Amino acid sequence: MTVAENTFENLRLELRRGCLTLAVLAQLKQEHYGYTLRKELAERGLEIDESTLYPLLRRLETQGLLASQWREEDKRNKRFYRLSSDGEQILDRLLDEWNNINASVSRILESPNTENEPNAEAK
Amino acid sequence: MELLDRYLQAVRKYLPLRRQDDIIAELRANMESQIEDRESELDRPLTQGELDDFLRKMGHPMVVASRYQPQQYLIGPTMFPMYLYVLRLSLLWAFIVCMVIAAVVTPLTEGTGNAVVAAVFRTPAILIQTAAWITLVFAAFEFARTRYPNLCPQIEGLNKNWNPSTLPPLEKDSLRHGKSRSFPQAVAEIIFSALFLGWLLLIPHYPFLLLGPGVVLLKTSPYQLAPVWWTFFGWMVALGIMQIVAKCIDLARGAWERPSTIQHIAFKVVGLIPTLVLLAAPGHIYVSLKDSAIDHAQAGKNLAEVNNAIHLGFSVICAIVVLQLAFDIGKLVTEAYRKRESAQ
Repeated sequence: MTVAENTFENLRLELRRGCLTLAVLAQLKQEHYGYTLRKELAERGLEIDESTLYPLLRRLETQGLLASQWREEDKRNKRFYRLSSDGEQILDRLLDEWNNINASVSRILESPNTENEPNAEAK
Repeated sequence: MELLDRYLQAVRKYLPLRRQDDIIAELRANMESQIEDRESELDRPLTQGELDDFLRKMGHPMVVASRYQPQQYLIGPTMFPMYLYVLRLSLLWAFIVCMVIAAVVTPLTEGTGNAVVAAVFRTPAILIQTAAWITLVFAAFEFARTRYPNLCPQIEGLNKNWNPSTLPPLEKDSLRHGKSRSFPQAVAEIIFSALFLGWLLLIPHYPFLLLGPGVVLLKTSPYQLAPVWWTFFGWMVALGIMQIVAKCIDLARGAWERPSTIQHIAFKVVGLIPTLVLLAAPGHIYVSLKDSAIDHAQAGKNLAEVNNAIHLGFSVICAIVVLQLAFDIGKLVTEAYRKRESAQ
């Protein structure tokens, strides 16, 4: 892997990390266990590794954003997760933040290039 | 499913004890569901190779288990800048203390060259121990801070009590690169250097220029200077001439404003030679008796002590000059590195 690719990969992972948390919280408005959650996210275009998703669910639960319970389904015990009331509030605030950032980045990208040049005012 | 059991058993070994069963049960449920899904898609059980691929895609058991651990640092990003600052400061002071002990305390207490060399060679071990202790203390504090956040003070004091008006004043460029000289200053330096050299050359013929009225003692004293002082004197004269020549060249090139750091260091290195010549004097003899047959009974007893004291004095001077030289070279290397980095 070249230095540029390595840098890109690090930045991509950094960017994805927060987005994945947001997506998982949003998806867990509806109850899921690990595997079905992963499938749902993948169907909506967000692939996520098992080894990333399952520990993430644990962390979010430890932080009080998710509630979980063991329940039998299809003759197998599974741990089902759902957004907690604290999680709902945090999700709303995170979504506001996400929308603001998204809108700002869009405005920056849509603005004419000349405005971004350092000497634009002098010209 | 024996392979899945083996995989989960391997993951379990790296999990935190308290949550092993819970995490393994959840992982098993998720993985079995995934395998079942895949099997119903294929309408047949997974082959050994497909199961291998599935587990390989899950990741190495140690990596999978590590994701369930809280993020672990020996020293985290909040503490690290403070750690680095304390480490650098402590190493610098440890180095200075070691050098003072080697150059001043050891010669005064033990008085042998071997003891000084041994003290110098002890320095790396002391520096490593200092670094290890500081790292250990910070790592322990980091551990306590992350495990028991309520019991440990939060690291916000630096930010809370910080006041921009307490920042140090801007460093002047001249301070970093040496003071600039005017043309008359450069000429005056050459004139005074030449006068100093003339004075130095006259001393052997007119010792009162150095000793003043004390020259009488030189005549009445039973001691005389050893031949090594002539070699020392020769080097001092050569050094004086070299400095005058270098200053004249600078003046001719129009480069008198800023003395070159490399030239400054080169002169310090050459300047060490006369001191080294004295340190290497045969038998550490700097003064001897004018007439050993007559004076030995009276002054011979103190001769060894006087020679030892002179040798000790020059050892200390040499150590100080070497330290200064090391500091100057360190500054030069840092500056060169800074320039190279900013040029890139």
